[in-house]
Amino acid sequence: MDSILIVEDDIDLNAAYKLILEKAGYNVKSAFNGQEALAILKDYKPQLILLDLLMPIMGGLEFLQNYELQKKHPEVKVLIFTNMENSPEVTEAYKLGAHRCIIKSWTAPQNLARVVRDSLDDKAEKKLKV
Amino acid sequence: MKATNPPIVVSPQEQQAQTQALFNSIGDGAIATDEFGKIVRVNPMALELLGYTENEILNKWFPRKIIAVDDNDQPLNLIDRPITQAFLTGRPVSEKMRYRTKKGGSIAVAVNVSPIILDDRPIGAIEVFRDITTDLEIDRMKSEFISLASHQLRTPLSAIKTYAHMLIDGFMGELTPPQRKSLHTIVAATDRMNELISTLLNITRIESGSITVAPKHIHIARLLDEVVKELAHAAEGKRINLTFQATKHDPIVRTDSLIVKEVVSNLVANAIKYTPDEGTVTVALKARPHTVVISVADSGFGIPKQAQAQIFTKFFRASNVVHRETSGTGLGLYLVEGLTEQLGGKVWFESEENHGSTFYLSLPHVVSRKPKRATKRK
Repeated sequence: MDSILIVEDDIDLNAAYKLILEKAGYNVKSAFNGQEALAILKDYKPQLILLDLLMPIMGGLEFLQNYELQKKHPEVKVLIFTNMENSPEVTEAYKLGAHRCIIKSWTAPQNLARVVRDSLDDKAEKKLKV
Repeated sequence: MKATNPPIVVSPQEQQAQTQALFNSIGDGAIATDEFGKIVRVNPMALELLGYTENEILNKWFPRKIIAVDDNDQPLNLIDRPITQAFLTGRPVSEKMRYRTKKGGSIAVAVNVSPIILDDRPIGAIEVFRDITTDLEIDRMKSEFISLASHQLRTPLSAIKTYAHMLIDGFMGELTPPQRKSLHTIVAATDRMNELISTLLNITRIESGSITVAPKHIHIARLLDEVVKELAHAAEGKRINLTFQATKHDPIVRTDSLIVKEVVSNLVANAIKYTPDEGTVTVALKARPHTVVISVADSGFGIPKQAQAQIFTKFFRASNVVHRETSGTGLGLYLVEGLTEQLGGKVWFESEENHGSTFYLSLPHVVSRKPKRATKRK
């Protein structure tokens, strides 16, 4: 079973994503900011991280820098889940190795599960790179 | 017989005093130089902004006392200074830069220089410079607000939409058909709210000049095809025949694909919205030598003649659609025009009431009609 870490400061959204992804058959853990995520990641090795960008204590970009995604965890897929479309923060997240960016307010639950599945799927990754 | 006014005689001393008074009354910093760039006049605001006394600045060569620097505090070349440019071109020049003050700091300024021309020859220049530190700070705060507002306004909407979808998908148990229908209404309303937030944010970005255009080479036909597919559902809902007529070639245009998509989506969504059930909406693409023209034609209500001049005005809605469609904001076409200007394109329309409308969008820079292949190695 693939494992996922959700990093999202909004309690309601965090709970909703957890429920949706658990129902889709994933093993899911939740963090509410970048610092909590780094602590959880010491023992927990997910295949995918669903990451919000604007969070208190430690935001998504700072988390990516500290986690050293490209250098130390190139096999982990990071999905940016934000409402800041077309922002410099999203561009920066891609530079730091993020795999995809999804706009929260446009995404229905079944789409979230699908995007997660596609991202974990190698075929989908190749298609995205075309 | 017509009476003629007697000529006004002004002595050179009076003229001199008038010019000095005029200079002193300018609310921004102002200096005048002679043809060699020597400062011959300075007003109190210029002295206040730069921190010099009149004696320290008068009769000095302007680059020696008024040092322009870039954002990294590196002095600008003399050739890049607006006064030099105004001398060389004989035309007014406007630039933004930083001026070093006597104390060693620097201030952001907007500089306007006009050459003084006599007998087709520049004999001096007048430079007016305005402290724009506060303007820049306001711009920065505006951009920050836009970014924050987009996040903060959408977070609760995301929660509403996600939970409504979870209920629809049966996460919390089975639903009755009326319950399901009500939840779909909630989702549709959050989508409308999201669109409204996007529109308002885009308008704020355009009006504050903080929109970023990132041009890339794009296949315009593919983009139009995508837009048509994305809006197919809305068209089906009204049994409207939505089609895309591609050209034989797929022109490649260097432009910002997200902005083009936003503009075309707006035009197509408008066409669907203002066309009665079972009508037609046709998207077409034509490549011309230096532009591509996208057209969106509908068989809808059309725009009354008296409303046509105002159709791109903010919050304007034509009288013939106000009572038919209550959900419009009058912001869509205002945004379309603003975004199109950012792309260096043009938008216009042809329409007759009750006989439909055709909106045209032209974009510059057709790179080539076929993608160039890399040169083959022999």
